[in-house]
Amino acid sequence: MSDTATRTLGDEIVATPMAPASGRAKLLKMLVPLVAFAAMLAVPIFVEPFWTQVGFGVFAAAIGAIGLNLLVGTTGQLSLAHAFFLAVGAATYCYVSGESGGTATEVGGLGLPPVVGMLCGVALAGLAGLLFSPIAARLRGIYLGVASLGLVFIGQHLMNTLEEVTGGFNGRATPIFAVPGFSFGSSDPDLFVLGIPFGEAEREWYLGLFLLAAAWWFAHNLLRSRPGRALQTLRDSETAAAVMGVNVQAYKARVFLLSSMYAGLAGVLVALSIGAIAPESFTLEVSVLYLAMIVLGGLGSVGGAVAGAAFVSALPVIFQRYADVLPLLSQPGQGGLSAPQGARILFGLTIIAVVLFQPAGLAGLARRRPRRPARTTSVAPSTAPAQGSTP
Amino acid sequence: MSVRVERGAGPTAAGDRGIPPLVVRDVTVQFGALKALSEVSFTVEPGTIHAIIGPNGAGKSTMFNVLSGVYKATAGDVRFGDAVLTTLRPHQIAKLRVARAFQNIALSGTQTVAENLMLGRHHLTAAGFLSAGLRLPKATKEGRLHGQRVREIAEFLELGDKLETPVGVLSYGDQKRVEVARALCTEPDLLLLDEPVAGMNAEETRRMAAAVLEIRSALGISVVLVEHDMGMVMGIADRITVLDFGRRIADGTPEQVQSDPEVIRAYLGSGDDTEESSA
Ligand SMILES: Nc1ncnc2c1ncn2[C@@H]1O[C@H](COP(=O)(O)OP(=O)(O)OP(=O)(O)O)[C@@H](O)[C@H]1O
Ligand SMILES: [Mg+2]
Repeated sequence: MSDTATRTLGDEIVATPMAPASGRAKLLKMLVPLVAFAAMLAVPIFVEPFWTQVGFGVFAAAIGAIGLNLLVGTTGQLSLAHAFFLAVGAATYCYVSGESGGTATEVGGLGLPPVVGMLCGVALAGLAGLLFSPIAARLRGIYLGVASLGLVFIGQHLMNTLEEVTGGFNGRATPIFAVPGFSFGSSDPDLFVLGIPFGEAEREWYLGLFLLAAAWWFAHNLLRSRPGRALQTLRDSETAAAVMGVNVQAYKARVFLLSSMYAGLAGVLVALSIGAIAPESFTLEVSVLYLAMIVLGGLGSVGGAVAGAAFVSALPVIFQRYADVLPLLSQPGQGGLSAPQGARILFGLTIIAVVLFQPAGLAGLARRRPRRPARTTSVAPSTAPAQGSTP
Repeated sequence: MSVRVERGAGPTAAGDRGIPPLVVRDVTVQFGALKALSEVSFTVEPGTIHAIIGPNGAGKSTMFNVLSGVYKATAGDVRFGDAVLTTLRPHQIAKLRVARAFQNIALSGTQTVAENLMLGRHHLTAAGFLSAGLRLPKATKEGRLHGQRVREIAEFLELGDKLETPVGVLSYGDQKRVEVARALCTEPDLLLLDEPVAGMNAEETRRMAAAVLEIRSALGISVVLVEHDMGMVMGIADRITVLDFGRRIADGTPEQVQSDPEVIRAYLGSGDDTEESSA
């Protein structure tokens, strides 16, 4: 208000582009992900299939974690139903792209191309989310968390009883993914890169990598845009968001839908990664682990969700593999901890350590500019009508 | 304050812009046994600065919550032109160009000033989940255009150099200015300011008062001002409504209100909290 230039506050928007913010920093910002992506492309050439397999599992979990983080970290809505939406995606894929019959089983399948199965998995998880979203739009925080709990139990029941779709208690095998002319199995066509045979693990690495890159990109764009800003304000002050013109219920419903679509895609990949689906892959514990991923990674950060997913889904496997060189363990037969037990304990301790020493999550480690944790900004009389019903 | 705010080709009278009066009629708000507002009526004439004053707990913020659709009135109605605000939801009221700056700062602390201000453009823009996530050209172009306007408003409120700063690390006075700027970013016809200078020093207060005058005269919009700083209120308000315990005890020009015996009694009788925020 103090300089001499004449500023206009007219309601016409002047079509002058914003000054390009420091060109070099911007270039660097674009270069880093590209270089990282290129490096990831080369990984299968250098490592054993064990690592590409672990990597595919991480990619699958990361997509699910990004979706959950949009809901919980960005919008401040708690959901324990993530495992349910993963299950919907996984089971839909297996049914749509699986073959019916088999010898002694009642398992059915439509035998459609795997790409169709994957799309159906995402769509049906989204549809399930859409059906639940009127409830999600009316509840807030922990209340939504508890309400969503119900979905996990329903999901478990369906997994066990819809034998034709899910294979019931024993589960069913996941059909191998393929695009026309290329299978993500171990043959068809046989593939060698630099003399290294590219089997299922290597191929799936690329499948997961590309899908994760797309999922990451979409979420990244979303957060820096009109809907993303609305979601973040909704988290910090629902009243302020509403008064600024955000249709709170519609936005809560939409982010719930989007989050379940991410979960559906993750479910398809999890099914591919495990090679089979069974009820125990989609229990409440899985929902909780996804929450752990986004908290460990850093609430609201897309990269953090990926880091958290890597942490939660890879660490136990790695601990197990290297159990013999880890502390805490004794040799088999000596009566101490077994390798799996040791791995679990170490995993548990690591989680506690991260939350204790890095409350902003793994994303906080990488951040150059310290952003304060979300300030609790409350609106005028904060005893206002609660539970998301801005009347 | 030499920066001028203009709408298009210069100052316009409110009449030309078709800004309607805000008519509040017999509004009552009841919280259990407590009547936060009892049959309060007043009219905000187009293009005026209308102050609502009263001791703490008089019901001023409650009135704002009714005007912006956050609370439902137990009885009575509020009309803004043809629209009956008391039947609408907050986001629908925002679309009618009613904007509000909150008394208790209600910004998003982790987002930058620019991002917070861009929220003010929400109802003027259209990018949805899909077009934003896929970076469709229409979404990015829209963001760029409105970013420019946000920059202008930020500079008008002396926030131009803080656009990329997360709001959470700003001083209280700066955050208050972001509140006002965000409301202004909605291009309102009616601007509701709830204690915009609370916690500001004398110089900041003077500048904010000048900014409010500038906004009114250049944009021709109506401003409803809730404020404890009597110097500011008497200096810039065209008309004042006085509330006490949820009742309207006076309504008139600053001169009329200042000499009203009931107003004097209300302020003296309530332990006099009128000066606290101008200190
Ligand atoms: N949601 C609510 N539930 C119950 N009581 C409320 C609610 N909102 C406001 N009140 C009560 O209504 C009365 C008026 O409050 P209000 O916030 O409108 O006062 P105010 O005039 O803005 O005061 P101040 O100058 O302190 O901001 C107070 O007694 C307050 O406690
Ligand atoms: Mg108040």
